[in-house]
Amino acid sequence: MSNNPNVLLRMEGITKSFPGVKALDGVSLTVRAGTVHALMGENGAGKSTLMKCLFGVYSKDGGHIYLEGKEINFKNSKDALENGVAMVHQELNQALKRNVMDNIWLGRYPMNGPFVSETKMYQDTVAVFDDLGIHVEPTTIMSTMPVSQRQMVEIAKAVSYNSKIIVFDEPTSSLTEEEVEHLFRIINMLRDRGCGIIYISHKMDEILRISDDITVMRDGTWVATEPVANMTMDKIIKLMVGRELTNRFPPKENVVSKEVSLSVRGLTGMYSALRDVSFDAHKGEILGLAGLDGSGRTETLETIFGAATKKSGTVTLNGKDTPNRTTKEAVANGYALLTEERRATGIFGILSILENTVISSLKNYLQGGFLNQRKMEESTDWAISAMRIKTPSQSTQIRSLSGGNQQKVILGRWLLTNPEVLLLDEPTRGIDVGAKYEIYQLIIDLAKQGKTVLMVSSEMPELLGVCDRILVMSGGRLAGEVSAKTATQEEIMTLAAKYV
Amino acid sequence: MAEQTTTPNSTMKKGPFRKIRAEMERYKTLSKQDQRRYVTDMLFNNAMYIIIVLAIIFIAIRVPSFVSLSSIVNIISLTASRLPIALGVAGCIVLAGTDISAGRAVGLAACIAGSLLTTANKIFPGMGVQPLPLVILIVVAVGALIGFVNGFCMAKFKLHPYIVTLSTQLILYGTILLYLKMGENNGQTLSSLSEGYRNLVAGTLFTIGTVAVPRYVLYAIILAAIMWVIWNKTTLGKNMFAVGSNEEAANVSGVNVMRTIILVFVMAGIMYSITGFFEGARIASINGNTGFNYEADAIAACVIGGVSFVGGIGKISGIITGVLLLQIIFTGLNFLSVDQNILYIIKGLVILVACAIDMRKYLVRK
Amino acid sequence: MNVKKVLALLLSLCMALSLAACGGGGGDAASGGDDSGSKPAGEVSIFYYTFNDTYLSSVRSAMDSALAAAGVNFNNYDGNNIQTTQTDSIDTAIAKGASILAVNLVDTGSNDAAQNIVDKAKAQNIPVVFFNRSVEESVVSSYDNCAFVGTDYTQAGKMQGDMIGQYLVENYDAVDLNGDGVISYVMFKGDEANQEAIYRTQYGQENADAVLTAAGKPALKFYDETNTNRYLVDQNGAWSAQAATDYMQTILSQYSEANNNMVELVIANNDEMALGAIAALQNAGYNSDGKTVIPVFGVDATDAARAAIDNGSMIGTIKQDAEGMANAIVTIITNFQNGNDKFDGIDPSYLEGTWRVNIPYSVYTGE
Repeated sequence: MSNNPNVLLRMEGITKSFPGVKALDGVSLTVRAGTVHALMGENGAGKSTLMKCLFGVYSKDGGHIYLEGKEINFKNSKDALENGVAMVHQELNQALKRNVMDNIWLGRYPMNGPFVSETKMYQDTVAVFDDLGIHVEPTTIMSTMPVSQRQMVEIAKAVSYNSKIIVFDEPTSSLTEEEVEHLFRIINMLRDRGCGIIYISHKMDEILRISDDITVMRDGTWVATEPVANMTMDKIIKLMVGRELTNRFPPKENVVSKEVSLSVRGLTGMYSALRDVSFDAHKGEILGLAGLDGSGRTETLETIFGAATKKSGTVTLNGKDTPNRTTKEAVANGYALLTEERRATGIFGILSILENTVISSLKNYLQGGFLNQRKMEESTDWAISAMRIKTPSQSTQIRSLSGGNQQKVILGRWLLTNPEVLLLDEPTRGIDVGAKYEIYQLIIDLAKQGKTVLMVSSEMPELLGVCDRILVMSGGRLAGEVSAKTATQEEIMTLAAKYV
Repeated sequence: MAEQTTTPNSTMKKGPFRKIRAEMERYKTLSKQDQRRYVTDMLFNNAMYIIIVLAIIFIAIRVPSFVSLSSIVNIISLTASRLPIALGVAGCIVLAGTDISAGRAVGLAACIAGSLLTTANKIFPGMGVQPLPLVILIVVAVGALIGFVNGFCMAKFKLHPYIVTLSTQLILYGTILLYLKMGENNGQTLSSLSEGYRNLVAGTLFTIGTVAVPRYVLYAIILAAIMWVIWNKTTLGKNMFAVGSNEEAANVSGVNVMRTIILVFVMAGIMYSITGFFEGARIASINGNTGFNYEADAIAACVIGGVSFVGGIGKISGIITGVLLLQIIFTGLNFLSVDQNILYIIKGLVILVACAIDMRKYLVRK
Repeated sequence: MNVKKVLALLLSLCMALSLAACGGGGGDAASGGDDSGSKPAGEVSIFYYTFNDTYLSSVRSAMDSALAAAGVNFNNYDGNNIQTTQTDSIDTAIAKGASILAVNLVDTGSNDAAQNIVDKAKAQNIPVVFFNRSVEESVVSSYDNCAFVGTDYTQAGKMQGDMIGQYLVENYDAVDLNGDGVISYVMFKGDEANQEAIYRTQYGQENADAVLTAAGKPALKFYDETNTNRYLVDQNGAWSAQAATDYMQTILSQYSEANNNMVELVIANNDEMALGAIAALQNAGYNSDGKTVIPVFGVDATDAARAAIDNGSMIGTIKQDAEGMANAIVTIITNFQNGNDKFDGIDPSYLEGTWRVNIPYSVYTGE
């Protein structure tokens, strides 16, 4: 295999240790020209560490990397880029205040004598975009564009290096269905040109569709490499988790009461595209919100919660008017919002589990103007056991926990405020398959206790598996409502495209 | 502004009128409510210019001589004398940093220039007036060195710019005091500067009627032009904005972040030393206090001119506007004979209000 | 070891070395000689409000050599114009075993800072000599081993005013450029809140007016009649040349011979500001060889000002006798050390009560 001319990149026996942890233990990966190689594994399995070793962000402790048969050892990402190895990062690393073309040619501006040639930069950008069928004006400031377009720019940037190897790290997490199709067309084109693609994703259906080979990692070790034809979703999950996962969704044990709790009428956003949204939700109900990215799902939750400004419309809870002009008022009225971007707006990374847990309910622990440490510890203990949070101690920094456990801490934080309505925005984004099940179980348990849950998700199987009813949004409006028991993905997609 | 083409669809067809006409067309297509928002946004986006015009009109009505030729030349030359330091410190702010050593760097440069270009040399007794090009070279080299130390400590040890420049500022102050103690000078004020030096900087560029325009106005314009080119047309400028906007993104794109930071601070250091060279000749009396607190006004002017402390945002035209606005307000209050004590309060309020209005541009409303 | 560690090591080494160097140097400078006095060893600690004051730099130089000549072991401290810094270093010096404190106080706005220092010294029975910046009698008298060496801070302003008045009387028509019979002037104040600045600003003009009216001339007129303060102050309180240059430049843009409203006299609280004003005047074509000279007056008689007076671009200044002050302080220090009466050997005409010594000013209008 080592002499196969088809092999573009070969990583052999890569080992990397951090103090106290062996992050990678003899991992190997072989990427052939003109193929898409999927790299799978739960969070913490070592996928990112492996890629960082490839790019020279980390220096590997052992092993060899060969590019087209020649041993390489990149010092930094500049070195990698110059040698035809590029990466589309999961967390968009972009200079948001600068425009599109400045970002694409960052670090290698076309020069005209001592000066940067704006004209050439513009033309080159247009050429790359035309090649990939991307329609973005090169002089647009990045921060004014939606995340999905910024993602496409990042992809175009990686392609523009004329790279032989391109790594895609969770490229579809913020793309709409249509944009995912576009991305796949681009990937197929690159594959036809003979590039080797490393594709990292949690989304099984995408992996099975786009990749040629699959490598699965677990706990810093290589588990398996197989052609995609030999793989099934269940097999992959089994390899990733290390055990059989019989059910993806827990049994639905919640009972939807006849009693309406949350009632929204004519909700319209001041600065968002949200227009005239009306619906009722019942006690004990899990109500899904489906739709494309930018269809107004997140805005609906934020406007109900007072995090976005309402232009008109009413929100009532159990017959009582709850205008929620500020988020503070919303919390007092019994609402809780789990935000979409956990790392950016959910957790306080360097603070402990305890501090993250009690932050929304501090006034409950006040005693004569001071916070009672013992009471806070009790509440945190309660949250850890009720949410089944796996953590060494209360004083652990939350950023050292896995995504699933972080999300459970945030859920616990909100439950301490004793909310009636839980607004969950993408509650399982970036969470491992195994941990997702536990989050679903928690959501169903909450509904069982009579809480009303509004849940936004881009993963349709998840909505169909967990919710009772699903509202479908399109272009800032409500496009329709389906029952989770009977609806199909096609039905939801049709509705989602209604006002686009 | 020609330095950043921001509106889409208009880049390929340049020309100010076409742009304005296109905007007018767009305005007509908007709804009543959006039109109102468009107008308020316009007002806020150009708030600095509107404030300047209002301030000038107000002061001119009270004291008509404020808009006389000689007064205008005075304001322009005072603005020019403060512009180089602001141009330097602005780069540091674009990097999401700051530089509080700027004033002392100005002081040290002025002391060195003064000590080498005096007819009564007491720091180096017996040494005559040195050739101007040599002195300029030495002063610039000292500025570059100060900038290099600042930038290097920041980039290498990942220290916050405030901490680094707080330290270098003290080191520079001590150096100035020691320097003034050298030879027979005994900490005394440096004076008796050579005619050639004073003339080169403060001499007459040309006269309009009877009003003389000093040479350093021309130099400030040249420096601003050079900085504009560096900021907008060179790799260093582009990298500076990228690093200020998102250091990590710049890093993974293969930008040498450390070199960029160091070069921006070296550039700033050179600007401070040039300011010091000018101030020495302009004030013609240099001591340990020279340059003291200069950075405060320079930073305020930058921020007023829209160079954001968030990093990655700023324009040369904004800096010039900021320095000019501050100067108009200070000179204007002087013309209005405002009580000296009230001046402090007005100064504080101007900075606060101007920044608040400017920041509003970047707020994302939900 | 990586680069960072090596650098860090080098840095700390540098620091250690420079500290050692400073310590050594300081020892050299201060090891004046053996103790001939009755008191046990212990250095004389001298606290300057700042090292960055031209006049006090002269005092400091004079003191350093006088103390060294007298064989006194001493150490200088910079208060950096912050009272807290100064008080902290006084605490340190007392803890170190200072034998005498000589204090050039930072905060002259109230008695608290001075009283605080006296109380600390009294508790340890350490003599205190305040100098230069004013301290009230009640504070000095509260402790027997305490004295003040200063100047009558109203005197500088009064002498400056008298000097200006005389100069004007003698050169009235030449100074009155527009021939309207009135001299228009500008006053530059060093610091809004400083006592000496306040008195210099007041008497510099009042005494000049008194001389003028006695000679039958009209009083001075502030160039800008709408300015009720009748002075322009350095916003940073730094008595700086730059503030005066900028003010003067702005004034000259509005007032000129062509407009027949030229400022005909410049009075400054100190020589720095006087020189700053001269720079602006020179830039506008005044006060250099063969040009019209607008009379400019300062206080301090710094070397630079004397040079300016000698070349004709400035008219006069008031000399603070730095050496005289240094000698008086050193005399009092040695008196304390030898157990003599504190004012032994001081010119009795300089004494004021039993608490202070006033070093007289003198007029300087060239040699």
